[in-house]
Amino acid sequence: MELLEVKNLSYKLGNFKLDDINFNVNQGEYFVLLGQSGSGKTLLLESIAGFNKVEGEINFRGSDISQFTPENRDVGFVYQDFALFPNLNVRDNIMFSKKYKQVENPEETLLDISEFLGLMPLLDRRIENLSGGEKQRVAIARALFSKPKILLLDEPLSAIDPTFRNSIMKFLKDIHRRYNLTTIHVTHNFREASYLADRIAIVMKGQIKQVGTASDVLNSPSSIEVAKFLGFKNILPVSILKEDSENLFSVDPNTIQISKEQLYCDYVFKGKLEECMGIIDHYKIFINVEEEQFFAKILKRDYMGCYADRGESIYIGFDKKDICYL
Amino acid sequence: MRNWFVYLLASLACIILLFLLIPLVKMIFGGDFSVVWETFQQKDVLDSIYLTMRVSFMAMLFVLCTGLPLAYLISRYDFFGKSLVEALIDIPTMIPHTAAGIALLLVFGRGPIAEFFVTFGIKFSDAEPGIMIAMMFLSATYLINGAKEGFNKVDIKLEKVARTLGANPLQVFLKISIPNAKKDIINGSLMMWGRGLGEFGAVVILVYHPMVAPVLIYDRFTSYGLAHSAPVAAIMIMISIMIFLSVRFLNNKLK
Repeated sequence: MELLEVKNLSYKLGNFKLDDINFNVNQGEYFVLLGQSGSGKTLLLESIAGFNKVEGEINFRGSDISQFTPENRDVGFVYQDFALFPNLNVRDNIMFSKKYKQVENPEETLLDISEFLGLMPLLDRRIENLSGGEKQRVAIARALFSKPKILLLDEPLSAIDPTFRNSIMKFLKDIHRRYNLTTIHVTHNFREASYLADRIAIVMKGQIKQVGTASDVLNSPSSIEVAKFLGFKNILPVSILKEDSENLFSVDPNTIQISKEQLYCDYVFKGKLEECMGIIDHYKIFINVEEEQFFAKILKRDYMGCYADRGESIYIGFDKKDICYL
Repeated sequence: MRNWFVYLLASLACIILLFLLIPLVKMIFGGDFSVVWETFQQKDVLDSIYLTMRVSFMAMLFVLCTGLPLAYLISRYDFFGKSLVEALIDIPTMIPHTAAGIALLLVFGRGPIAEFFVTFGIKFSDAEPGIMIAMMFLSATYLINGAKEGFNKVDIKLEKVARTLGANPLQVFLKISIPNAKKDIINGSLMMWGRGLGEFGAVVILVYHPMVAPVLIYDRFTSYGLAHSAPVAAIMIMISIMIFLSVRFLNNKLK
């Protein structure tokens, strides 16, 4: 069931513009806005929260809320630096909304959230005495306490030590399920998006470039710029495959086979080795085929030393199943 | 390498510190303490000190109510003429205090504005409200600028999050913005109050009687000489320092 619909949303801030944004978020969905820094993701999230006067519609269960003030939108917001209130301790931060919103059984709610998020021993602590991870949990608890209809997360993992990110990603998913939330999560990290998202919208230069299920967006980018952003390599013309098309395709560097001998794959090319770079556990190999450059990754445990010298002829091959047409 | 540089800085810093310190020490400890104590018990001295503190405090309260919103507006919003407003706030610190007194006298001592206030029984010439506006005009800058700095330090994201948690803009201002800027607001208020205590030039033009402490010191100096004015000055300096240090101490204790 559709919960939120963003329709023709535009907003100008200086030289930057959110331009004709359209997407919808379903009830209970974990929706990720994925884009590079400066693409307008946070601005879009803030616009949904009501911090900006936008053009267009933001429909919540069919009613336009685009003119509502933030306090009347029932959203919970967690910033990447958590924005905890320094003048209040952990308990008062979490229960801040109690004075302004009707929260049923506030003490029980506090207890439940604090227990689930492991905040019980921290309730009387001051904010400046918390670690980054603890601050994040308090910020999430504060948002959850207000019983939001939608939880908005702005790069919640970027201020977290990388060693804890995986466990916190799992934790975010657990929270989403336990509290039956609808979540919009902003990130620039597509690994984060691929783990968390039910659906993804790619945001680039203030526009939505692609919306779809996580696997669709991450495996079948709709344009070159989305493919490049998602880290696709070997974006090359289909004509090189001897197919009659002006389109492009991409092939994963890990699936390309290399040999001095003839290979038996769906597509096999003979090219010249341009460069072979040894990187910790693998080689990065660049091969020139018909003036196009292929990039392949070969594990060091499979090959001892670079497979060929620079300038030598070499065969590369890959199968049709490993190709992604753009 | 580093040591000589630090010594150089410290030597130069000592010159200005001694310049600030010696007159105060001389004033407090240079005289006969029994004379200071005797002066302290004189009714006109006590009345004058009490009047100075009370009116300066009231001026500070008035600017807290009106200057805080102004400081917040400047800190949070861009609007036409913002630089002009900021310049207007700073101008009183740059003009001669006697000139400010004359300007205030022209506006509040006579003419339609003075008459308007008289209908409410408020008179500025030779009356407490006159002392208050003179103090306010010349020292409001400290409070407004202090508060502006404080609001600038409050991350706007705190206010945004508070809005999503149900608080309206006024509630956010009262519960988030002011408490998190309180240190600078208190410092600014203290500076304003302290500056008000010492205001002479503008006050003396608007209000000679009732006498605030600086006018009393001047009056005694011109009428009776240094021996009679110095103890009053010493008392005023001691009280100001005590208040200043205690409020600073309490403010530093504030988390």
